[in-house]
Amino acid sequence: MKQLKQFAFIALFLGTSIFQGCKKDDRPEAEPELPQAERKGIYVLCEGLFNANNTSLSYFNYEDRSLITDKFASVNGRGLGDTGNDMKIYGSKMYIVVNVSSTLEIVNPHTGASIKKLDLKQNNVGRQPRYITFNSNKGYISNFDGTVAVLDTASMEIEQYIKVGRNPEQMAIANGKLYVANSGGLDYPNYGNTVSVIDLKTLQETKKITVGENPRGVVADQYGDVYVLSTGNYADVKSSMTTIDSKTDQVKTAVNFSGGSMVISGDYGYIPASGGKLKVFNVKTEQLEKENFITDNTKITSPYGLAVDELTGEVFVTDAKNYTTGGEVFCFDKEGKKKYSITVGINPNNVVFINK
Amino acid sequence: MEKRLLSLVFTLFVSAGLFGQADTSNVLKEVSVRFVLPQNVHSLNPAQQISARDFKSLAAYNVADAIRNFSGVNIKDYGGIGGLKTVSVRSLGANHTGVQLDGVQTSDAQNGQIDLGKINLDNVASITLYNGHSAELLQPARAYSSASMLVIKSLAPQFADDKKQRVKLGFKTGSFGLLHPNILWQRQISKRSYLNVNSSWQKSHGRYKYKVDGDGSDTLATRTNAQLSTMQSDAAWYWNGADSNRLQFRINYSQSSRGLPGAVVYYNPYSNQHLWNRDLFLQSSYQHHFPNKLQFLVNAKFAHNYLRYTDPDYLNQAGILDQRFKQTELYESVALSYPISGIWELSLASDLTYNKLDMDLYNYAYPSRLTAFSALTSKFLFNRLSIHATLLNTTITEWVEKGTASPSKSIWSPTISATYKPFDQTDLQFRLFYKDIFRNPTFNDLYYTRSGRRDLKPEYAEQYNAGLTYSKTFNTFVYFLSLTADAYYNNVKDKIIAIPNKDLFTWTMMNLGKVDIRGLDLGIKTKSALGRQLDFSLSGNYTYQQAIDVTDPKSSVYLHQIPYTPKHTVAINAGISSKRSGVYYNHILSTSRYYLSENLPQYYVPGFSVSDLSLSHQLETKYPISFTAEVNNLFNQSYAFIRSFPMPGRSLRLSFQITI
Repeated sequence: MKQLKQFAFIALFLGTSIFQGCKKDDRPEAEPELPQAERKGIYVLCEGLFNANNTSLSYFNYEDRSLITDKFASVNGRGLGDTGNDMKIYGSKMYIVVNVSSTLEIVNPHTGASIKKLDLKQNNVGRQPRYITFNSNKGYISNFDGTVAVLDTASMEIEQYIKVGRNPEQMAIANGKLYVANSGGLDYPNYGNTVSVIDLKTLQETKKITVGENPRGVVADQYGDVYVLSTGNYADVKSSMTTIDSKTDQVKTAVNFSGGSMVISGDYGYIPASGGKLKVFNVKTEQLEKENFITDNTKITSPYGLAVDELTGEVFVTDAKNYTTGGEVFCFDKEGKKKYSITVGINPNNVVFINK
Repeated sequence: MEKRLLSLVFTLFVSAGLFGQADTSNVLKEVSVRFVLPQNVHSLNPAQQISARDFKSLAAYNVADAIRNFSGVNIKDYGGIGGLKTVSVRSLGANHTGVQLDGVQTSDAQNGQIDLGKINLDNVASITLYNGHSAELLQPARAYSSASMLVIKSLAPQFADDKKQRVKLGFKTGSFGLLHPNILWQRQISKRSYLNVNSSWQKSHGRYKYKVDGDGSDTLATRTNAQLSTMQSDAAWYWNGADSNRLQFRINYSQSSRGLPGAVVYYNPYSNQHLWNRDLFLQSSYQHHFPNKLQFLVNAKFAHNYLRYTDPDYLNQAGILDQRFKQTELYESVALSYPISGIWELSLASDLTYNKLDMDLYNYAYPSRLTAFSALTSKFLFNRLSIHATLLNTTITEWVEKGTASPSKSIWSPTISATYKPFDQTDLQFRLFYKDIFRNPTFNDLYYTRSGRRDLKPEYAEQYNAGLTYSKTFNTFVYFLSLTADAYYNNVKDKIIAIPNKDLFTWTMMNLGKVDIRGLDLGIKTKSALGRQLDFSLSGNYTYQQAIDVTDPKSSVYLHQIPYTPKHTVAINAGISSKRSGVYYNHILSTSRYYLSENLPQYYVPGFSVSDLSLSHQLETKYPISFTAEVNNLFNQSYAFIRSFPMPGRSLRLSFQITI
């Protein structure tokens, strides 16, 4: 395993050095504005266990440092359901994608109260929604049934379903286009290897770009590059990273890379990696910046999810531990030193920040 | 701890010795028409038995129902008429419970668990659960190979002198749209040979109402996709020689088609998963007694099981998940027993089992396994003391078509049991047993593509038991009383568990668990007269189990009770019967459990208390007719053994049988 990882790193460096010509020197026109509001607390989505209906929403209140382990259930008198997979805040609402229950919960983040529960089903069969992303008052939800649902965030209705590839996972938006990873994850060993490109004006799939096998993670940087992280087939095909230039929709680089998902903040992409490490990838130089972001020997058993508070620079890493017992969320400062940690529900995968 | 438990048992039950001491065979004879003494009270290892005549008093429909009152038993019932039902004995896990049908073990090399819900009671004469194994000296080596053994005996024809043929027609109907006819035909073909043919059909829509907790709904939901359709046929030929030599041949075929309702997932409770089974086995047994008291027993079996599973809602390219599994088993056993002297008997048994599994899974290993069991048992019978010691060797060799097979292993498993009867006049007996056994990893544990690990070690279960048994027949209105009490300490090491490795998509089997189990089983049985015509019977079992995870002192689950293991379980059965009629009430109480290994309030599963009622009546006409009405879950409790798999509310079953 260790050898394998080393191989992946060598391959990564080789790969990036070949494409040195694509180095990014152009700065974006303006520094992104820091949010002015102050944080009130964080929500942590804990997916729970498959078929156990125990997805929970932990709320950590910054003001009195109090923790509510299942805010959603205590406010709404019912559970979120089975396998909550993604959570984001957009505008004044919080959106929670619940995979096996096949629902989208639209929640008031200040109270935790559900505003609406949308069913994502076709003829009683769950579409198995996975992720959600937003652009211009529309939400885009990838569904395992090979579709992306288009949500109008004002009316809170699904307006249409766009057909994409097999078992789509993460999505990213760049240059007015939506990039969707078609994992084909339910067709082992015949995984997918494409990313669908959807023009957000026409809401049509315009092309499919070939990427590494079993793509799951998709993320865009501020320079217009889209990074696709593929898991491989657990055997001869290794995990990989494909970089797509969203201007041309051409593949820039494709290298072996270990890590299944990346969260980008500014020029840095954070990648939860095996061995409890948090790799840092520089999206400007396209080089691995650091083997481990954590500098104070804090032990994380199974890094599972990640979020960066753009306001404070704090990095939150969720630890799924042994994936069957309660998880933990670690808060690190910019330098990678642990500030504190909180104990949450099973398999914490997402952290969102609530403003005052 | 063991010592403390043991002394508690002793103080509790030494008082039992104070009961009166007079009983005469005279009384026994006289009352024998009104009761049958409970079997297996004074067994070497703890044993609990139920026979066909008691099935109705328990309102039992299948083998799992029939044994749910046994102490130390933890049934995992996934609910509904077609739902999976397995049994874990003394917290060791269902894979440690062996199931034996007419002397030959019935096994599942793929999963290692037998669905007891699949065995209906139409053709069952008795069911006995042995902790450890039976004290029978002449038995196959494989009978020693499980931590506990559930022994099922089929009906065998017995004819009065003038009769040559008997036909029993039965019909059951009731809730869940149940239609269940069965026919039993018994015939004496020659002076010494008999035929027993049984066939039954079962059809049910399986739907029932249940309450969902936690999804905010306030109405009852309906469990759907729970339909069941089965057919079972069994033919057995018996030959009983003059010198108690016996030959038996059996062929059994069953097929079933059932919907799998799945877990009740909040907001998405529908399932279209389906399971088909086609199972065939042929089994034969021959027992010979030589004049010099040497006995031998030969058993052979061929079994073929076909299973197909589909999920039409699976979101893959084909639009369906469709898996087929085929298992083949070949088995033979030779056992010998010989009394060397009046106090010393020896037995030697040697078995071979061949298993093969075939499934349409990508990159599958296609494993096959040859297991050789050899057991040497020595039995000493002194005045009041008897000692049984068995040494079992299990040698396992596996082959695969792809990759490397799991390494061969040879494991020695000792058992030692002793009973001591301190008084001649009093039926009081002490017993002790120790058994060290293992369960081999299943084919799925070892070879399932991606999750299996071929270097898995066996999972070991060690058992220590100390108990006492007491029984007495009386010459008063009370016919008999029997009491059993056993305290035990078990431990499981190298427990095979699945853990996600790297991410939730990749689970791997690991030898990663240690469990420490301390328990107490108490049982009481009594029957007494209630006026001139009526009898009152009462049986009760109590189980205390502390089964804690001792894998890793640093883990958050250290010293927590293992999932789905109640601390206290009480089962009571009481009945009033006359010669022709009976009314029985059954009650099971289970305290709360946790559904995960972390004993936190959010993973709490409340206890339950469920009652059943049964009424039966027989008409002694030319062709005897019997009627039974059974109500399960009399008070319509909403409960579940397994979270997200709700059990049905009140349900009714009516049975009718005529003997021609």
